[in-house]
Amino acid sequence: MKVKNYVLVMVLFLLNTATMLAQEKTITGTVTSVVDALPLPGVSVIVKGTTRGAQTDFDGNYSIKASANETLVFSYVGNKTVEELVGNRSTINVALQEDVASLEEVVIEAYRTSTAEKSNIASTTITAKTVEARPNASFAQTLQGQVAGLNITTGNGQPGGDSQINLRGVSSLSGNTEPLFIIDGVPVDEDNFRSLNPNDIESLSVLKDAGATAIYGNRGANGVVLIKTKRGSYNSGLKINYIGTSSFSVLQNHDYNLMNSREELQLEKDFGSGFGATLSDAELAIRAQQTNTDWLDVFFGTGLTQSHTLNLSSGGENINSFTSFGYTDQEGILKKASTLKRFNFRSNINGKSSNDKFNYGTSFTFNYSESNEPNSIDGAAGTVNRNFVLGANQSLPYISPASYIPGEGANIPVVFANTPLFLLDRRDTYTRREDEIKIIANVNASYKITDNLTFRTSFGGDFTDEQLLRVEAPNSFNANLFALTGDNTPGFSDQDSRRSVALNFNNSLTWSKVFADKHSLEVSLFTEYFKAHRRSFGFRQLGFDPATFSPGDGAAFVDDNANDDFYVDTGRASVRDAGLFSYFGYVDYDYDSKYGFSATVRRDASYRFSASNRWGTFWSVAGRWNISNEAFMEDSIFDQLKLRASYGTTGNQRIIDVVGQFAYFAGPDLTENFFNTGAQYGGVNGLSVGQIGNNDLKWETIIQGNIGLDFALLSNRLRGSFDVYQRNTEDLFVSTPIAPSLNGGVTGINANVGELQNSGFDVELHYDLFKSKEEGGLNVTLNVVGNYNKQEIVSLGAGGDQPLTRRVGGVIGELFVAPYMGVNPANGNLLFLDIDGNLTEDITTNDQRATGKNIFPDYQGSFGLDADYKNFFFTAQFNYTIGVYRSDFDLQGYLDPSAIGQFRHSRDILRAWTQPGDITDIPSLNATNTSDEFLSDRNIRNSDYLRLRFIQFGYNVPKKVLDKIGFTSFRAFVSGENIVTWSKWRGFDAEALNPSQNRYPTPKTYSVGIEFGF
Amino acid sequence: MRNIYKLLSVCLVFTVVSCNDAIEIDQPGRLGADNAFQSVVDLKSGLLGAYDFLDTTSEIGYTSAVTDESFRGRDNGGQNSNTQNFNINSNNGYVFNIWTRNYGAIGMANRIIAAAETLDRAEDPDLYDHVVGQAYAIRAFSHFQILTYFSTDYTNDAALAGILLTEPTSDIFASVARSTNGEFYAQITSDLTTASSLINGTDADTSGVTFMGQDFITALRARMAAYRGQYAAADGFAASLLANYPIADQAQYFSMYDDADFTEVIFSLERATGDTYDDQGTSGTGYAGSLWAFIDATAGGGPFMEISRSTFNIMNGTSDVRLPRAVNLAESSIDPTYASNPNFLNDDVLIVWKYPGSNGQPLMNDLKIFRSAEMLLIRAEAAADANQLGVAAGFIKELRDARFGAPQPLPAYASQTEAFGGILDERRLELLFEGHRWVDLKRLGNRGNRAIDRDAKECSLLAGCTLGNDDFRFTLPIPLSETTANSAAEQNPGY
Repeated sequence: MKVKNYVLVMVLFLLNTATMLAQEKTITGTVTSVVDALPLPGVSVIVKGTTRGAQTDFDGNYSIKASANETLVFSYVGNKTVEELVGNRSTINVALQEDVASLEEVVIEAYRTSTAEKSNIASTTITAKTVEARPNASFAQTLQGQVAGLNITTGNGQPGGDSQINLRGVSSLSGNTEPLFIIDGVPVDEDNFRSLNPNDIESLSVLKDAGATAIYGNRGANGVVLIKTKRGSYNSGLKINYIGTSSFSVLQNHDYNLMNSREELQLEKDFGSGFGATLSDAELAIRAQQTNTDWLDVFFGTGLTQSHTLNLSSGGENINSFTSFGYTDQEGILKKASTLKRFNFRSNINGKSSNDKFNYGTSFTFNYSESNEPNSIDGAAGTVNRNFVLGANQSLPYISPASYIPGEGANIPVVFANTPLFLLDRRDTYTRREDEIKIIANVNASYKITDNLTFRTSFGGDFTDEQLLRVEAPNSFNANLFALTGDNTPGFSDQDSRRSVALNFNNSLTWSKVFADKHSLEVSLFTEYFKAHRRSFGFRQLGFDPATFSPGDGAAFVDDNANDDFYVDTGRASVRDAGLFSYFGYVDYDYDSKYGFSATVRRDASYRFSASNRWGTFWSVAGRWNISNEAFMEDSIFDQLKLRASYGTTGNQRIIDVVGQFAYFAGPDLTENFFNTGAQYGGVNGLSVGQIGNNDLKWETIIQGNIGLDFALLSNRLRGSFDVYQRNTEDLFVSTPIAPSLNGGVTGINANVGELQNSGFDVELHYDLFKSKEEGGLNVTLNVVGNYNKQEIVSLGAGGDQPLTRRVGGVIGELFVAPYMGVNPANGNLLFLDIDGNLTEDITTNDQRATGKNIFPDYQGSFGLDADYKNFFFTAQFNYTIGVYRSDFDLQGYLDPSAIGQFRHSRDILRAWTQPGDITDIPSLNATNTSDEFLSDRNIRNSDYLRLRFIQFGYNVPKKVLDKIGFTSFRAFVSGENIVTWSKWRGFDAEALNPSQNRYPTPKTYSVGIEFGF
Repeated sequence: MRNIYKLLSVCLVFTVVSCNDAIEIDQPGRLGADNAFQSVVDLKSGLLGAYDFLDTTSEIGYTSAVTDESFRGRDNGGQNSNTQNFNINSNNGYVFNIWTRNYGAIGMANRIIAAAETLDRAEDPDLYDHVVGQAYAIRAFSHFQILTYFSTDYTNDAALAGILLTEPTSDIFASVARSTNGEFYAQITSDLTTASSLINGTDADTSGVTFMGQDFITALRARMAAYRGQYAAADGFAASLLANYPIADQAQYFSMYDDADFTEVIFSLERATGDTYDDQGTSGTGYAGSLWAFIDATAGGGPFMEISRSTFNIMNGTSDVRLPRAVNLAESSIDPTYASNPNFLNDDVLIVWKYPGSNGQPLMNDLKIFRSAEMLLIRAEAAADANQLGVAAGFIKELRDARFGAPQPLPAYASQTEAFGGILDERRLELLFEGHRWVDLKRLGNRGNRAIDRDAKECSLLAGCTLGNDDFRFTLPIPLSETTANSAAEQNPGY
């Protein structure tokens, strides 16, 4: 630290020669906030009456030269200014108090920033404090429940797995429904955050209403999330900060009441099917005693995670930098099969000319990750030889893991009862690895041409290089199972290289001026150019020599020969480009911080519609009234009261929703008719019909109105906002049915028909239950975040309702089922209500009816509290969803009589009907109409939940101690994620946007962490 | 600061000039529909695409599951449960595949026929006719498949068939009503006449037993005439084919299903490594053998459907070559006490062996569409229909002699009903797992007093033992995806 101070002294020395003669001394100190005792970065420290100044750095520290008779002025937006006479002190620590009157929280808006007072838009900003040091590899998971209206669902326990993110409902039926994510000015792939380090994030702003998003035109339809990463500050010394966490993750609980070995064998014996049926009572007892395996414990286990982030920041007069290194090693709860290791590097630099006219900045992050990500789980629920979760959930308890002999997979007898052995073998012999390099880089510059006119430019890119390796070893069960007859060296290696780069180039001119002190006007004009390229290639090699086999290496590859076609390899490659071009602008006017008005307009062209409707225009208007700034409000309880309203349009050109990364290349030219070449009859190359084009395609248009109220009252103790909205999606993309007879077997084509409406409200409340005036007192803040959203399909075009799929007046993904009415006491069959309301045992698709139920919540959000006392701090967050209906096919499997002898069951099945007169909820094991259950709601469960999503308890080492040991901050904490869930849902994870069937549940995670700076 | 202005100018110029390269993008590797057919050789490429749609695994799989051909096997994980329990809905997967595969073929055939009119036949008249003729033949075959599975009554020309399509679709959103059987028969007859007049080419790539030639046309005419009850014509077509396609002996019969003998094969669909169907297809559109087993036709091959006990019991213990061809006896576990064994699903495992695999690929075999044995049985039907019961018995004996490898007793039919019953019994064994049983019971069940005949043990695990031959489920529902989009398409009764 000596060196640092020396340099700083030199700088000040050169700049302040004159005062040097007046015997200046160096004053240092830390500025903290009275509210939470946390350091305040960016506080301006000025020597009163001079131009000498400094800013506090990231940890609230400052250093400035002043003489004894001078006064230091500490000022910071939203806080009362403090003046301190230097006197004979060399250390001046200051605690700033919030200034209710001038609360000027910075609001990050599209392409600009504003203040809480002058912002016209609906948005929510989350700060680093919330995102930091959480054990979720993807920051999207951490965001859950933090922003009203932002519904984040993670239905996948893979570390860094993709989350589904919807803002204010699902706005499209077949198009992309996730918000646009922009990191430091670079639009990025919203489905791939696994490689990014959440600890680098400074703030996350979610833009919700049309006033905020219309300027993103045909990319802003689903809202916009602006992410800013941490940066250095000018005139600050070297600061080093470290955050480290260690976590362990375990499977969440289930409530399926599963059978043990004895019970399962007895069930088989009683039913007369499976291994149990071949045993005498004595043999059965012995087997049950010998082997009672809970396969959940074999396939799932404790996943360990460690994560380290080291930040360095420093700043000189005209340049500052922020550098961060991160390393994370995370194990998923699926043992041996699911991991994420990543290395992160970030360098953010700001610079400026000494007259402040020219500013520039760069953001650069390089990330490398290695994931072992098991496949064949989502959407491959029933593959007994590939889905590890199936092995965990459904394997018979009387089978022992010891029956699997490593290396002998090829000899496992093929019966369903051996499912866990197939999967143990797969775990040992199958490789699926994704190595990814992710670079996000941006350079931006601005120049003040005149006092009123500024030119800005920003150029950035999102680069992803993914190497996918999938290898099935030659001695594995699967390779041998599906080997061609006579192939003694089976197995395959798929290696794929996928690379994408998306470039964004934005230029703007902004003119702003204040007239007559009270009228502020700002006008900006922009052009934006976006171009993305995706290249991929790969091959499938068949055949390995076991002697030299090693996954990913070619030494063992067996070549094709003249005798057979066992080892014919295949190659693949694809080239895709995407592009957008736009020009747009906004006008923003403020009158005396009382009234404000803004308007945006954007002209957008998309490559997708080059042959149909290339250009679209999107616009918005927004206004506000700062009621609390009116004279008549002077003595009211309101510290702030602002009414906002906005109306406008955005577009969605991402017409095909492909889940997973690289989605923006999907459906590039759906307007055109194509033929395909390739293997046809007999495997001979030929020609066949490819795509049927829709030459009338265009973007979806979302028309959104929003009225909101921002308020702070009771001396700022109660703060919050309330927004009501209505979002109508017009020219809705719907996979419109077309007759397969007329269209060569094709059943649907995407077309712009129909209209969808989402309407509801967002509410956000923070209340300081206890607010201490002194440092170390008790502070408790209660937080409530909530959203209600109602979906309605307003129109489906000329075709009208689509039977069993969707209907006008219905909701997205509506469940069409007949009510299940229980068990017929007479014969044990299932009873249903037919379409006419009569009890029946036999239903058809004609009896399936609309229920109004779907998997998307009506209400969702969170509540919780933040508290601190002395040096302890505590946070708790409960998330909830209401109105979620979801199929539980795991439960269906546990109750399936036809799986007796093959898979595990729930004890519930013991309640099955056995003789006439039995009143029970479980049908006869020999019921003859069980297959009708899939037309009914028998397996549909309410999956509403209340979950203790996050809890944290920690301790800040007191300043006195820190000073002695040379640290500026030091805290330690323990935390938990998904700790308790209250739900009627019986499965492992109430949260997901899919029916549950052998999916990879999200875990429960406990962490300990430390953070320190010096 | 001059430099900054220069930089700014560059930025501005770049954005304005380069905008078109972002929004006018032609993705590589696209073949526009307008450029697809430019020469006669392109027509031939397209013909391979039309053939590629033809696939009868869904017909075979559906028939096997819904009738008495098969029963749930040891490794069944719910496969075919609906179909076995006669739960046939308009969103049944087999039904969808039968409809869409055939309309895929019709659509492609129509494109070839239409594109041919824009090309110069003189470029290669021999190939031109050969290809276009086969396009007509494909269109006829697929229309007949549609009629077979979706018409209520083959003998009623006024009954509804499917959507009759003879040219490429101009309005993809159109609704078109179903045509009658009479209209279908007329178009099929006309298409076959056209095909017959054109298919004479010498192109080796599109000729042979796996391509539609003159004999295919005759065989289709024979089957169609028999289904319509026009037995005189049917007998003539069948007889003419039998002159060239003898009934296979036991060895030939056995290796026919290894795709190694073609003595009695009139037409089969080729299945080869790397084609569209080179994959598992447990509910159709994959390897035919994967309709019964996951991996291969052995004990460890994951048999999820097995030969039904009722069919197996007929052949068990005889020297009928159809037994070892239908069942992999070496790999099966045959439990003589299955009827009293509660664990019979695990102990009595009868592995289907009709699609053992070829070219090293287990379960992948050609799909037999027309064999001379069917022609012989058509002749027997024709004789029975004409009340020539002895003649009918003679044809049955001829077939049984060949299958048993030794002379068999001449059946004695006391009535037409008995004769049709005997013919149905023989067809049940001869055409087992080839997609005939359901159609045969539909059209002849009442005449022969036969119905779906399941083993009592199997019945105990199913919703029903049998289904009346007049039940509405002997006609498939028009798929939901068709009726959803095509409001003019009338649904079949009962659905």
